[in-house]
Amino acid sequence: MRSTSLLDILGETDYSPGHSRRVTLATTTELLQGTLDLLILKAISLGPLHGYGVLLRIQQISGDKLQIQQGSLYPALYRLEHQGLIESEWGESDNRRKAKFYSLTISGQRRLRAEVNYWGRLSDAINLALAAVPGDL
Amino acid sequence: MTTKLRSFLSALVNGRRLEREMEEEWRFHLDERVGALMASGVSRREAQQIARVEFGDPLRWKEEGREARGLRLIHELRSDVQYALRQMGRAKAATLVIMATLALAIGANTAIFTLVDAVMLKPLPVPHPEELKQLVWIARRSGFHATYNGSARSNAAGERVATSFSYPVITNLRDHATTLSDVFCFDEPQQLTVVHDGAAQLVDGQFVSGNYFRGLRVNAILGRTLGDADDKPGAPAVGVISHRFWRRAFAEAPDVVGRRITVNGAPVSIVGVLPPSFFGVLPGTRPDVVLALAAQSAFDASTPPDALTRADRWGFQVMARMKPGETVGRAEAEAEALIRQAIVAYAPAAAYDPPRIVLDPGDRGLANLRREYSNPLGILMGMVGVVLLIACANIAGLLIVRASAREREIGMRIALGAGRWRVIRQLVTESVVLAVGGGCLGFAITYGIRHLLPVFVTEGSSTVELDMAVDVRILLFTAGTCLATGLACGLLPALRATNLDVASLIGRTLTGTLTSASRRWTGKVLVTTQVAFSLMLLVGAGLFVRTLLNLRSEALGFKPDGLLIFRVNPSQSGYAAARWNDFYERAVERIATVPGVRTVSLSRYAVLAGGSTRDGIGVLGSESKPVGTYIHYVAPQYFETMGIPIRLGRDITWQDREQSRHVVVVNEALARTLFGTAQPIGQWVIHPNEKVADAMEIIGVAADAKFSDVRRPAPPTIYEPYVKQPQRLMTFAVRTAGDPEGLSGSIRNAIAAVDPSVPLFDFWSQRTQIDLAIRQERLFANLVSGFGLLALLLACLGIYGTLSYSVARRTPEIGLRMALGASRHDVIGLVLRESAGPVAVGVGMGVAGVALTARLIQTMLFGVTHYDLSTLLAALAVLVVSALGAAWLPSARASRVEPMLALRQE
Repeated sequence: MRSTSLLDILGETDYSPGHSRRVTLATTTELLQGTLDLLILKAISLGPLHGYGVLLRIQQISGDKLQIQQGSLYPALYRLEHQGLIESEWGESDNRRKAKFYSLTISGQRRLRAEVNYWGRLSDAINLALAAVPGDL
Repeated sequence: MTTKLRSFLSALVNGRRLEREMEEEWRFHLDERVGALMASGVSRREAQQIARVEFGDPLRWKEEGREARGLRLIHELRSDVQYALRQMGRAKAATLVIMATLALAIGANTAIFTLVDAVMLKPLPVPHPEELKQLVWIARRSGFHATYNGSARSNAAGERVATSFSYPVITNLRDHATTLSDVFCFDEPQQLTVVHDGAAQLVDGQFVSGNYFRGLRVNAILGRTLGDADDKPGAPAVGVISHRFWRRAFAEAPDVVGRRITVNGAPVSIVGVLPPSFFGVLPGTRPDVVLALAAQSAFDASTPPDALTRADRWGFQVMARMKPGETVGRAEAEAEALIRQAIVAYAPAAAYDPPRIVLDPGDRGLANLRREYSNPLGILMGMVGVVLLIACANIAGLLIVRASAREREIGMRIALGAGRWRVIRQLVTESVVLAVGGGCLGFAITYGIRHLLPVFVTEGSSTVELDMAVDVRILLFTAGTCLATGLACGLLPALRATNLDVASLIGRTLTGTLTSASRRWTGKVLVTTQVAFSLMLLVGAGLFVRTLLNLRSEALGFKPDGLLIFRVNPSQSGYAAARWNDFYERAVERIATVPGVRTVSLSRYAVLAGGSTRDGIGVLGSESKPVGTYIHYVAPQYFETMGIPIRLGRDITWQDREQSRHVVVVNEALARTLFGTAQPIGQWVIHPNEKVADAMEIIGVAADAKFSDVRRPAPPTIYEPYVKQPQRLMTFAVRTAGDPEGLSGSIRNAIAAVDPSVPLFDFWSQRTQIDLAIRQERLFANLVSGFGLLALLLACLGIYGTLSYSVARRTPEIGLRMALGASRHDVIGLVLRESAGPVAVGVGMGVAGVALTARLIQTMLFGVTHYDLSTLLAALAVLVVSALGAAWLPSARASRVEPMLALRQE
């Protein structure tokens, strides 16, 4: 067992064995609200998940580069549910415990497609702008 | 958006369940994370700690979760209300006083609005009332009618605006109109004598056309309503009774259909019972017996048998249903064409202008009541509104004082990060909760007394029947008033209380040496407002009280004391018309023998009871236009009994019977109008449309006396012998030696000795009759005086409270002044001067307010103008003295301040 320091606990070290040290690109506070929603929708689109599962999946599909304060997930989930983009249902988790599972609705799928589209165009535009050299002017 | 609404509503309803589910979800999440951490080798305790830190603050996620579901506002409101209720519980006395004041003020407003709603806003309880229209004709010269029964008025252009039509004209419209689906007509409600199971009573009845109930789409709850077959000449006499009559007279017996009653002596078979909510089309009335128009002449002696066939007898009011999809303009044009066509068809002899036809909205019934009562109701509404404003200003002042005691609490909240508007919202919630509490109490009181309210719109001795059921409009009004009151009371104190310099508050004591001028200014403005409005109400009270006193002391022209009056109707006891006079004469003879009775006489109407007959009268052989006159059918000795002096000539005697000459007495006003200064005795007069053989000789001139109305001067009156026209109903007048009420037993026995089956109605003294006639004025005087006193009390409390508070805050300053040499008188003067300013400004504003609004009540005043100076000065005096008294106590207390103690308080 490795000795742990306070900094390690609060810092960016992951305790799953075998994983390399992850570099955080953004924390929840830096992520815009819309971006978090987009990630949640994407995560749930890959299959119904409970809250903890959404967290793990986002970490998984982002290559552990995004750190999300775990509790902040839930208000985002409730907001998406309020807007009718995801729906919830109580079910059983892997270890046979009661958990609330979220799945994408039709309008959620539509929103995901639209947002991904928008994100792509936005990032293209910004990338283009950032690639400008003095010679282009 | 519907998903959001559904989610919001579900969150609202299932609040607690959702919170539990959230906690369960998060517990699962934490357990999973702890499990994952422990699987990587961390101890349980450490894992739990780490997981909690990673998760963050649950309270914050809960709040954000609520916000996500749109519940934040609701949650905050709920906690604000709970806090408000706790605050109210902590200061029970103040809460009680505030709620009582608000209950009174809001309750009064709700009560008057209930009246306004019943008279002006409530639609008729029939299906699709918006389709109903009332027919109105307008013409400058109305020669197309020979006789007219009903209401009429002149408009600004000098044209006659009237609502009665003749039956043939109506049937022409009914049969040919394409834009109107049901054209029905009816006469005005009238009193009928109904006998059932041997018991006789006077009830309101109405004669209607056969399609009346069909046009209104009203069905009977028992049996059937009248139909076209019942409205044919010669049809069996049938009638429909009201639910109220069914309840009172038959105890809701299920077999009432088919039972026979007697109406004005003729038999009627009951065919149905009307629903309890139905009262006809004239708000304020509720006919108990409804009969067909075709039968009217059989029941009502004053209706000629050809009433329905004469095209120039205009006396029936008309309503119709407009077909859906038709416009008012088209319907009016068609009705106008058809009515003009009908008039042309019977070619009236006199000159006339073809009438214009207007369709007035009939959804709330006929407009008579609304027009008559809109003025008194408007005045009442204005006054209770002013009372509410005073109460709001008063309570706002109270709340300012209370808020200043919470300065540290509010400062703490702001320092901890609450926005100013958030704190204001919380404070305003507190006052809204108070207002809602007071409002509910006030509403409960109004609900309890609602059946007593119609008396405010009752003029004279008539009765007004209104549907006082609570409907949505009244509830909305009460809720809106509560909300507005809460805001009005609480916003100003809240704004003032949160306008804090937080830093300087921490560590400061409650009473500062100086209060900033701006903070004292609010209290003064509130006092000014209350003083101004109180003055207005006091002046109003003074004017109404003087009106009442003027009416009471008005010279009536006769002696009202020691006079007993009652009405009899021998016709329902089986007397035929020919025997009525016989009965009256015997009754007079019999009563004259009762000890204590000085004289006894009869007249068609009781004086000042509102009833009258009017016609023209002209000198026989003269070409001049007949003079409008009031006709009084009287028995001999009428003038002696009533105490009206005979100026010239003599009274009618029992010798002047129907077979002999027609002799009449006129009053001075009529004599002057007809003959000027010439001798009227011996002259002959005649009514228009009478035969020469019916001319009448004037044998006496009586002094002027009031007839039907206390307010109007004595009209030209002609007193004709009652035997000239048989009268179904007569009023007996008995002048007694002592107290008139004391002889009532003996007089009842005397009538019974003549004929025990004849009942007596309206048995009371003339004084009581007069009191009934001025009932509305009495009520207004009492009510406005009550309001005025309440307003004065509130204003004085406001002055007292504001001044006390100011003295409390200035105690160190006063102590300093006294230590530096100020005397007690100086201190008293100092404090009094502080209130002098607001009171003076308030008085000024009040006088301006009176000048602007007093003319609105002029129509209700009598004998006093709205700009009466003495009343204003009296009100001013009362106000200033009371204000001085209210300001005296705090000033006296201030002067007793011990300088050393006061300074140590700092």
